[in-house]
This record gives sequence, C-alpha cells and structure tokens, in this order.
Amino acid sequence: MSSPRVILQGRGCSPGEFEGEAVVSNQPFGFWQGIDPQTGIVIDRRHDQCGASLKGKAFVFPFGRGSTGTPGIFLEAVRNGCAPGAIVNVKSEPMIVACALLAEAFFKVSIPIVDSLEKDPQELLRTGDRVRISGTSGIIEVISRV
Amino acid sequence: MHLTDEEQRILNGEHGEPQRLSLQVLVKLGEAYGAERMVEIRSAHLVGSSYQIAGEAGIAIYTQLVEQGARVKVRTTSDPGSIDFTRWRQFRTPAEYAERQILIAELLDRMGVIPTWTCTPYTIFNVPRFGEDLGWSESSAVVFANSVMGARTNRLAAYVDLCAALVGRVPRFGLHLPEHRRGEILFELDPALSASFEDHHFPVLGYLVGQVTGDRIPVIVGIREATFDQLKAFGAAAAASGSVALYHMVGITPEARTLDEAFGGRPPVERIFVGKREIARTLEQMSSGNGGTVDVVGVGCPHASVDQMRRYASLLDGKRVHAGVELWVCTNTVVEEMARKMGYVETIERAGAKLMVGTCHNDCPLGAWGFRRLVTDSGKFAYYTPTTVGSECVFASTEACIAAAITGQVERR
Repeated sequence: MSSPRVILQGRGCSPGEFEGEAVVSNQPFGFWQGIDPQTGIVIDRRHDQCGASLKGKAFVFPFGRGSTGTPGIFLEAVRNGCAPGAIVNVKSEPMIVACALLAEAFFKVSIPIVDSLEKDPQELLRTGDRVRISGTSGIIEVISRV
Repeated sequence: MHLTDEEQRILNGEHGEPQRLSLQVLVKLGEAYGAERMVEIRSAHLVGSSYQIAGEAGIAIYTQLVEQGARVKVRTTSDPGSIDFTRWRQFRTPAEYAERQILIAELLDRMGVIPTWTCTPYTIFNVPRFGEDLGWSESSAVVFANSVMGARTNRLAAYVDLCAALVGRVPRFGLHLPEHRRGEILFELDPALSASFEDHHFPVLGYLVGQVTGDRIPVIVGIREATFDQLKAFGAAAAASGSVALYHMVGITPEARTLDEAFGGRPPVERIFVGKREIARTLEQMSSGNGGTVDVVGVGCPHASVDQMRRYASLLDGKRVHAGVELWVCTNTVVEEMARKMGYVETIERAGAKLMVGTCHNDCPLGAWGFRRLVTDSGKFAYYTPTTVGSECVFASTEACIAAAITGQVERR
C-alpha cells in the first residue's frame, strides 16, 4: 500500500545506504545472547521480536543492552551474511556503533545506523514498512507502508 | 575531530594496514560521540580473547591482523579464555572447541598480548594509576579501574579494545572527560543497614545499584569500610545487572572523598533509599527455583585473589565436597601459583574442589554437564549463568556456597 512519502531526519552514526524492510520493536535489545548468528533470527525469549529474522532488515529498537562481547556475535552474523542491513535507534550506544564500524573495517560490509530522530522511531515506523536509510546523511525515507 | 600529524599519517597508511584500519574505527566512533581529539592510552585489556566471544569472526580478524604484521603499541592483557588451558578435558570441553581457543592464544601472542587470561588484570599485570587514560573492555575490570583506581576508560567493545591497543589511542569522550565522571544518582544506605553490612551484601547492593542505575553514574553513601575484594564483587555485579562503568562510594573511592566531590558540586537527579528490605528483595531476585540438590558451586567471579583462596581453603580444610557436586574455584595462573606455595591449593583440591584457571563458568561451554542448579557468591554469575549454564541459580554468601558444596543441598534464603 503506497502513501505519501515520509522523510525523517536523524543523526548518522555509521555511514552507508540501505533500502529494504523494517523490523520494529519497542524493547531494548542485546545482540549478545539475543540473536542466532547462523540465521539472523532473534532468540531472546524475553524479546517481542523473538523468532523474527533480522537478516538484511532495518532493525528499529530503542537502544542496545550492550555486553562488551556484542561485536563477537554481531560480526559472526555479518560473516554469515545474516546481520541486520541497517539499524535505527532512539539513542545508539557506542557498542552498537562499534559493531557497524568494525563490520566495515574488517568485513567490507556497511551497516548504516541512524539515531536521534525528532520523534520516537516506534511511532514513525512499523514492521514491514519499506524504508531507505542513509547512515551518511541521517535521512530515513519511508517508501511504502504496510 | 582534530587529528595530529602522526594520526594523519596512520590514517594514510604510513604505519601499515592494521593501524590504519584500527584508527579508522576509533576516529569514526569518536566522531559519532562528539570527541574533539584522540587521547593516548597507557594500557589496553581485551575481552575478545575468549573464543566464546570472538568466535570464527574474531579468528578471521585476528588472522588478518597477524598476517598484516600487527603488534600492540601499549601494554595489553587478555581476559579469561574459554578453556582452562591445562585442564580443559576435566571440564569436558570438546577438543575441537579447545583447538579454536588455542589458536586465538597463538594469534594474540603474535601481536604481543600478555597472556594473563584474567578478568582482574588490575591486581598484578596491568595496574592503572589515578587519572591515566586506558582502552579497556571487560565490564568488571572497567568498573574497577574507573571507580577504585580512578583511571579513565569507557567500556570498549570487543575488537575496539584491540584497535585501541594497536594504535595506543582512544577517542576522547565519555569517561575520559572529568565533567562526565560526576555522580548522577544517589543511593543512601539506611544507618541500620550500614551498621550491619555483611561481606555478601556487596554483590547484592551492586546488583541493586546496577538494576536501578542502568548506564548512569551512581554514588553510594553509607558504606563504612570495604576491602579490595568487596569492591571487586560490588562493581562486577553492578556492571552485569546494569552497565555501570563508574561508581563513586563516598569515603571509599578516590573521586568521592566527600558527597559534594562525588557529584561535582551538582545535586543528584535522583535519590534512592536502600534499607534491609531492599537488600532482601534483591537477594530474592538474584536466585531462581526453590533450592534443593546442588549440581555445581561457582566461586571466584571475578577471579579469586590470594586472600579469597585462603578463605576457601580454611572453609574446606578437613572437609569433603559432596559426591556428585562440582565445586569450581576460578582464578588466574599467578594467584594459583601463590596459593599453591601457601598450601591453599592442596587443601582445596584435597577436599575434592577443582581449580578452574584462566577461564570461568561464564566463558566455558558447559552444556555437556547438564547442570540444573548452580550456587554462587557472585552477583555477576547470578546474573549471567542462568543463560550461559542453562540452570537455576541460588545466590549465597561464600560460607554458604562452600557449605552447599559439602552438604550437596542448598536452601533458598
């Protein structure tokens, strides 16, 4: 279902361009013990997206619950081609931003990250929306709505 | 961000690919968090030394860096690995798993990392001084270095710590800036609790503080005295249940000689009252299940000191760990050696307990054991092991942990 395009301005934390589907959660997320790096599926049973695949998706969640081991699991998912394609947060913690910067430096995979939108991203985006995300300019464009 | 000529040359690749890639990551991280410049560090500590954390992606990164000739530029120590390098068969670690950890050890060795395999590098190998900038990961070590030693480090992510080690720098933001080290939330202990504060209350209070604080900076007032090991236990719990990287304990930690100093002259944004009831409620949250037969008892998280080894030995002297119960004492090779010289290791092992050196319950693959009930005196274990070990967990004092290992039974308090 197509509707007028929505353009949101945030802060780009990790460069790169993404176009694809969004997975939206209103719960904080920890990749460590939160995702199966072989499949990209959420395995944290306490999380509202448990069972959803983040592979190649724009994962929208408030903020990371970051163990310092986070990049271990995240980069394993990157190496397997199962990591999220982009991340949108209310506020991105350095642990999450580090994951994307390391993916770019060591695996030549760019994962744009945008945070600090004017409004809560959960109010602006819904699971299944098709979005274009620029981690370089911090602009998110909603191409089509579910 | 302002970069020095030297840093510009590193980014141009004049010092090789490992330094170029490392600085690129650190500069972009700094730009995302408003750093105006980089700061030189005195040491680094690596959490990605464990295969459980690094996995195959980590091996790929380390292999690439070694092939490109990477060498650490500052003193760099390793966190616990995922195996006890000499006893891994005793802990039923699969051989193919052990081989991957041994490969990581070889790769880190080639980069010049000191193979400490401990979460308490600050006790002997990598001792920070007040005001020094560091590039550390391992949440329990970061919180200790910042809070108890007054050194300055953010909680670095795995591999970012290695990037920092390879260029000897980190972006200067967060806890490197004095204005970001001021307390934000005040925890006031009830005088009745202060007067009767026990050893095992330290990890319980840490767990409570972490839960409430999240990633802010807590100030605790009302602790009259604390040992090195008690501060270690407190911080590890707070860093696990929250992501506390710095706390101030008034009259105890160096940046909190007074309440006013701890808050940097500002008023607290929130005040939390902690009495015996709050401690009891947290104690309740730290355990699951109803108690009963014990499968495994874990002490030495963070890694045990010689003082703690003496305590375990005195509690186990002449006793016997119950049949079918595993009592694992986690520490590092240096403490092991000292404790052996002091006769503690012999007493501990004679009682049927096992030393687990250079690793711990959280880092090892323990699926083969099928543990159903763990007992621990560590707030950090209590937070993580239900997931990593897949068992119920009962938190108890050190004395009660050793007693549970001897009787094979634990009551939930």
